[in-house]
Amino acid sequence: MTDAPVLSLRDVRKSFGPVEVLHGVDLDLRAGEVLALIGENGAGKSTTMKILAGYQPATSGRILLDGEEVSFGSLHEGEEAGIVMIHQEFNLAEQLTVEQNIFLGRELHNGWFLDKARMRRLAREYLDRVNCTVHPDTRVSQLSNSDKQMVEIAKALSRDARVLIMDEPTAVLTGSETETLFEQVRAMKADGTAILFTSHKLGEVAAIADHVTVLRDGAVVHDGRAADIDEDGMATAMVGRDVSDLYPDKAGAPDDVVLRVTGLDVPGHAEGVGFELRRGEILGIAGLIGSGRTEAMEGLCGLRPARAERIEIDGAKIDIRRPSDALEHGLCYMTEDRKLRGLLLDKSMRVNLTLQSLDQFGGLMIDRAAEERALDRAIEEFDIRAGRREMRVGNLSGGNQQKLLLAKVMMSDPSILIADEPTRGIDIGTKQQIYAFLRTLAASGRAVVMISSEMQEVIGLADRVLVMRLGRVSGTLSGDEITEDAIVRLAMGVGAGDSERAA
Amino acid sequence: MTSETTNSPMRRALPSMSVLGPVLALIVLVVIGASLNANFLGTANITNVLARSAFIGIIAVGMTFVITAGGLDLSVGSMAAFIAGLMILVMNAALPSLGVGVPIILLGMAVALLAGLVAGLLNGFLITTLGIEAFIVTLGSMGIYRSLVTWLADGGTLSLDFELRTFYRPVYFDGILGISWPIIVFAIVVIVGELLMSRAKFGRHCAAIGSNESVAHYSNVDVNRTRLLTYAMLGLLVGVATIMYVPRLGSASASTGLLWELEAIAAVIIGGTVLKGGFGRVWGTVIGVLILSLIDNILNLTDLVSPYLNGAIQGVIIILAVILQREAKAKG
Amino acid sequence: MSYMKTALMGCTMLAMSGAAWAQDETTVIGVSIPAATHGWAGGMNFHAQETVERLEETYPELDFVLTAASDAGAQVNDIEDMVATRGIDALVVLPFESDPLTPPIQSVAESGTWVTVVDRGLSVEGIEDLYVAGDNPGFGRVAGEYMAEQMPDGGDIVVLRGIPTTIDNERVAGFEEAIEGSGINIIDMEHGNWNRDDSFNVMQDFLQKHDQIDAVWASDDDMAVGVLAAIEAAGREDIQFVLGGAGMKEMVQRVMEGDDMIPADVTYPPAMIATAIEMTAVGLVSNAPVSGTFTIGSVLITEENAEQYYYPDSPF
Repeated sequence: MTDAPVLSLRDVRKSFGPVEVLHGVDLDLRAGEVLALIGENGAGKSTTMKILAGYQPATSGRILLDGEEVSFGSLHEGEEAGIVMIHQEFNLAEQLTVEQNIFLGRELHNGWFLDKARMRRLAREYLDRVNCTVHPDTRVSQLSNSDKQMVEIAKALSRDARVLIMDEPTAVLTGSETETLFEQVRAMKADGTAILFTSHKLGEVAAIADHVTVLRDGAVVHDGRAADIDEDGMATAMVGRDVSDLYPDKAGAPDDVVLRVTGLDVPGHAEGVGFELRRGEILGIAGLIGSGRTEAMEGLCGLRPARAERIEIDGAKIDIRRPSDALEHGLCYMTEDRKLRGLLLDKSMRVNLTLQSLDQFGGLMIDRAAEERALDRAIEEFDIRAGRREMRVGNLSGGNQQKLLLAKVMMSDPSILIADEPTRGIDIGTKQQIYAFLRTLAASGRAVVMISSEMQEVIGLADRVLVMRLGRVSGTLSGDEITEDAIVRLAMGVGAGDSERAA
Repeated sequence: MTSETTNSPMRRALPSMSVLGPVLALIVLVVIGASLNANFLGTANITNVLARSAFIGIIAVGMTFVITAGGLDLSVGSMAAFIAGLMILVMNAALPSLGVGVPIILLGMAVALLAGLVAGLLNGFLITTLGIEAFIVTLGSMGIYRSLVTWLADGGTLSLDFELRTFYRPVYFDGILGISWPIIVFAIVVIVGELLMSRAKFGRHCAAIGSNESVAHYSNVDVNRTRLLTYAMLGLLVGVATIMYVPRLGSASASTGLLWELEAIAAVIIGGTVLKGGFGRVWGTVIGVLILSLIDNILNLTDLVSPYLNGAIQGVIIILAVILQREAKAKG
Repeated sequence: MSYMKTALMGCTMLAMSGAAWAQDETTVIGVSIPAATHGWAGGMNFHAQETVERLEETYPELDFVLTAASDAGAQVNDIEDMVATRGIDALVVLPFESDPLTPPIQSVAESGTWVTVVDRGLSVEGIEDLYVAGDNPGFGRVAGEYMAEQMPDGGDIVVLRGIPTTIDNERVAGFEEAIEGSGINIIDMEHGNWNRDDSFNVMQDFLQKHDQIDAVWASDDDMAVGVLAAIEAAGREDIQFVLGGAGMKEMVQRVMEGDDMIPADVTYPPAMIATAIEMTAVGLVSNAPVSGTFTIGSVLITEENAEQYYYPDSPF
């Protein structure tokens, strides 16, 4: 099945200003083959993909399409050549419907008018192929992230791509959604499509890829058949050091209770949620997407309307009506969505870092020098790597954004940190740093709540695990009880095998 | 990527076009004006232009905050007319009991500030608490205030009592050290506004809200309160502008402050504030206001173009000033 | 507000018409005018209301419908409503603009309704039964003649024009014609849009530009207010007088008091609407309608005759 490559890069270099970010990359995409492009955040994966798809020109080097050198003048020419890219940040018009998005820019016509019937039929067909049950008339703004991803894929299917490039397609998908996606990938592969995808989930890479290319610091450090490299080998190649010891050691004996919540209701999302959090521990919250984990914690922190029977911090009953109440009591929530809720993408690191805790930087007037010093410390402590200090945060890599977000919430020095998906979409090296940080934080006499959809992370890091299902706590696990099997049983409801997605 | 990991020292490049654009436009206008008329750079003309710019300028400073926080206020022109009318009515009514003197002027000023604050709070309340689109709310209040002033004036003109006006006049025409009051007040408003925008928590919060409301909410910024404050502040500044306006002609009518809202918004945008919010600069707004006033001034001082085309010239310059900034953005 | 007033007026009318109905033989007169958006229009609205009230008292058999429109489109709607719902026997209309109002008024006239047009003529001749017109060229001419008479040795003057319209053009043409050969030079001319603030700014700039200005034709009393404020602020002594126009009560009062800066004014009376309504009403009642064109000339107001043109109760 390996014949001549469809699309290739030869000694491609890319510079942004004086900084060269790709140092001579070679890459081959073959028909009927899945290539996994992996590497740490900032290794150059996104840039490589954008050059392949014609979003960005290369500074030097050649792009070969069917062996012929091409240069895509625009994105459109890339698509004309049958190259479709699905972005990590969704490229969907939020106010249009699913169907309108699928056919956006290439609407089907029937003379002067739109051929709505045919578009409806085809939209339905594409959505069915990816097992997506949303109605074609739903507005994209009302969809969950995973549904948006499926719509993106349906859109790509409608393009009849020869080459499909997917930037972390599984980052927001649940396990079974990922499986649905992979079925489609296999089907497209069988049809002769060349597929490139990136993922930080190395297990998936091993499962679906035929070929693995590893990038580190803008250069290819490994290139070979997927069968010839195991997950540890991939991680080592990506990071350049041994990462088998991903999770820090767990804590010893639990301490006294610092947070006790009973009867927390978040209308429409969670009901009667109660739990205890002890000093020095990391409490994992597991559950399916949509099980009300995020909403419950947001409600607890005053970020959305909620009511609780009783909230105690250090034994004292407290009232939380707005976010500032939570912060005053040392309770801080770190959002799962760093791009839409966490960071101001068009502002600098300094502005983002201090936004939540501006009170620390002078009264009415802001002490900029103090802000700069805080940024120095944060860059040092959280190992944030940015080309320039003043660059837009939106131009940072995902891992560095996540570290900045962590630094931002830590500015208020919380005694209880609720971290929602703290490692979503970031590379394994950064994950390791964040795990170590959370453990150190807990060990220093604080407490951490970590919401996560990654089973391995919950099992590896949490001292106790609380599982939510349909807006309620379905169980708590600790010590040796924390197993993948036990969590899945609680998350799905014992015996409830098929109705997986909850309200 | 190794080069990225080292913290390169901050490089001091030339200021970008987005900063230079409006400044250049202003300089070009000044040069044109000076070359066409010898009196252009005279103290008297400069005083005239600055004092004239003060009304729109003071309002535009407030508008800068509203727009930066992702809002809009179309009602300021008619709000100014209404406040002016109200102020005149109250002062005339209080004349028999208070007589001509400082107290009645202070009463008038208090009425203007209070009315402005209340009007601004009302806009802000409808927009934030009730969650109605700013465009719709202020379009509505624009019509309401315009009608109210027409009604108060009975379709005609409300005039301040002649003696009172003579007493109040110095507030527009006099000043200290040869600088007239409107210019002084304008300068103070600008300095406070600039500090508030670029150095204070309030400005930072406005930019955060305009940039991304959810991020601001998740960052413990009280979105509704901050927004409400921007509208209240704008209302208050409309009151301040009216205090300067009334002594000039001592009258208010249905045509007072007509299209001020659009001039203020245009000045804000020419100055480099982003119309959809997230970034604002007060000093830029001042440049925008001056550009708009200077165009009129130069066209009056010279006979270059038919007066029928004044509006067209203004339009071209507004669009050019904004294109200059765009151009810069595209190049990075 | 004009809205509410109109509504109120409508209610009053309804009540009155109810009373009048009892006497049978009611004649309904529709009056459609532009809303009070500036001083002159405000005065015109005042005179219209006052006349309607007065005539309703005098002639119980007459019934009036008064509407004020904020633009030409709204005025067309007003007129259509009058015809459809009130069955008017006569229409007195001061058109917002000539062109858009011509066809609807034409169709009213064709249905046999008496039509009186005020101030602004229609685009097609012969539609109206009675035309009560202001005299715009005459307005300019009277002003020009006064200027020429006051400045026998000539001089340099500046002119402030109104909103660019036919009315303004006719006035300025009349003025220029009248000062021809008198030695008076118009050294500058700019639009002040019949607005106090605009004319203030324009005059400030004129004062910067010209070292010697002998007199100002402000062509409107609102603009004269702005001009006077600018002159006063600049402390200039070279300007001998400012001539406005229209007959605003504050200006007439200054003429009456012998103010040097305002020695005269030229009428363009907003009360012409009253004349038109009255002529129409009397014509309908007496069965001897007056038709044709009735021009209300512009008159020079000076200290001697100012008292007759002073309406202290009018808002204008």
